Amino acid sequence: MIEISGLTKTFGSGDSAFTALKDVNVTIAENEFFTLLGPSGCGKTTLLRSIAGFVDPTSGSLTINGDDILSKAPYDRPVNTVFQNYALFPHLTVAENIGFGLEMQDRPKAEVQSVVKEMLELVQMAPMADRMTSQISGGQQQRVALARALAPKPKVLLLDEPLSALDFKLRKEMQIELKRLQHETGITFVFVTHDQEEALTMSDRIAVMNGGRILQIGGPREIYDHPAERFVADFIGDTNFVSADLKSVEGDAAEVHLPSGQAIEARSVAGGPTSGAVTIAVRPEHATLTAPGALLDGTLKNIVYFGTDTHYHIETEARSTFVIRQQNQPDSAEDHKVGEPVGISFNPGVAQVLRD
Amino acid sequence: MSNETQSPHRRWLLLTPALTILTIAAAGPLLIVLVFSFLTPGDYGGVIWKFSADAWFNVFAERDFFDETVSFSDAHLSIFWRSVRLSLLTTIVAFLVGFPTAYFIATRRENRRNMWMLLIMVPFWTNLLIRTFAVMEIIRNEGVLNSVLIGLGLIDEPIQLLFTDFAVTLGMFYVYLPLMVLPIYASMERMDFSLVEAAYDLYASRWRVLRKVILPIVKPGVVAGSILVFIPSLGAYVTPRVLGGGKNLMMGNLIELQFGQGRNWPLGAALSITLLAVVMVALVFYVRSAGSEETPHG
Repeated sequence: MIEISGLTKTFGSGDSAFTALKDVNVTIAENEFFTLLGPSGCGKTTLLRSIAGFVDPTSGSLTINGDDILSKAPYDRPVNTVFQNYALFPHLTVAENIGFGLEMQDRPKAEVQSVVKEMLELVQMAPMADRMTSQISGGQQQRVALARALAPKPKVLLLDEPLSALDFKLRKEMQIELKRLQHETGITFVFVTHDQEEALTMSDRIAVMNGGRILQIGGPREIYDHPAERFVADFIGDTNFVSADLKSVEGDAAEVHLPSGQAIEARSVAGGPTSGAVTIAVRPEHATLTAPGALLDGTLKNIVYFGTDTHYHIETEARSTFVIRQQNQPDSAEDHKVGEPVGISFNPGVAQVLRD
Repeated sequence: MSNETQSPHRRWLLLTPALTILTIAAAGPLLIVLVFSFLTPGDYGGVIWKFSADAWFNVFAERDFFDETVSFSDAHLSIFWRSVRLSLLTTIVAFLVGFPTAYFIATRRENRRNMWMLLIMVPFWTNLLIRTFAVMEIIRNEGVLNSVLIGLGLIDEPIQLLFTDFAVTLGMFYVYLPLMVLPIYASMERMDFSLVEAAYDLYASRWRVLRKVILPIVKPGVVAGSILVFIPSLGAYVTPRVLGGGKNLMMGNLIELQFGQGRNWPLGAALSITLLAVVMVALVFYVRSAGSEETPHG
């Protein structure tokens, strides 16, 4: 278990000071696939490097299974890293790369050999054992980097955008592969990515970061269906933002009045507003196109056919664009025309009140 | 491949200027030196065009002046050995100082590295004699170093540093240090420093990161730097002449002596060829032993 509390990192000082991490608090459970998600510069890599020991936080605490590791050098921490550029040793073979960590721990030669063999099997690289790392493909280098980091059996594996250099098909394969490896080894994975789809498909829990802060922590479904802040809703998937008036909050449920005057039940957010003007978020696929006189009314401005689904762009009465995504049925005739007045409706509970 | 589509004719044409210069300026003089080493010395220098193996005989042996017995002579060989020893020492010291220097520069911010390299190169662009006399000024008995030590009360009398092996080694180290720093810096700058992080991450201590990762990767630079320092040191002339005084001869001085006061051009030529042979053997030996470590785990 990794416990991080009050972690802050400021680079430089005076006017040029830059705070990369602001009071980060998070607890990562044993055997969890935990993802740090955010745009570049959000602090996710700094947080990962703080755990690895390459960044010395300005303040805060960081423990693994109760041991304070901030005072320890990188080589004394029970964590290993898969680097974004893999950082394989060019002067060593595939097998020597994988055995490097074990050799540095002065494990007996026989053990090193058997673990290297086991790891080569695990990542399906056994036939390449004696190749130099420059003689294998990018995907294979990725596997070697994984095997090298897993070989010493760390308590935590840190992965710094490990799939970003791979092409689309290989990335899909490696996503499944990574899940399998995490399952088989039972090691806690802390995974850094800016790819929201990658985060949603692989993670047990996701921490969405921006500006050095963790904005929301939750399972993929929770993060997607119930984003707590505008940034989270915007960064992950597509979202419609609607201004509304919050009337009352009772536990999870909130009563919200839409600009049309209609009242709906939305989902409230912990630590969010309890009344007044708010923004609510509605996913395009959670709304349906209906006849005028619905929750929101507007004019159909554009219809975009995507094969699997169709996007309807509607200009609402508040002069903002609302997108509805509807799945296509085979041979369904298009019964809407650009320019016609339409209505937007959605079920109670799909609208999410945002914190800001 | 563009050079494969070029006609052989054209390739030779491109090589002609370089080949011409090499033939005239390198192969030609070498051949002359080789021929001269088998001729008879003239009374006032120069050579007489008469075959003689005396020069080669004198490189390794001497004939007793009175009874004409031939015995092995180490007079020249001991100077050769001295040169090799001092050059090796110079190379090792240059590495021990140059490697951390190169590491320091390579780990600075990118816009600062050129400034540091400039500071390393400035002495290199200064006249060799001036630099050598500067070293002399520092280490001579009335020089800066001894004055400071006496002033501090650490010593009562000046330490004799000038005209010793120490002075020669110090001088050569100072003169050739940039030639060690430059190639090591070049390979270190190309090195991916995330490899160092990866090694730390994989439980390697600082010392092991240096030995198992940094050194093997920058080895081409270390090999190049060592060659660049060792070879000119072996043939150094000015530095041992100025800092070593008359007694601490090196090969360069010995050869010069034969062409000057000694008036024995064939012996000078034979010694030159021997020096060349020593350099070649040392090079082959060094490059081979450096290359064989490439597969450390077999």
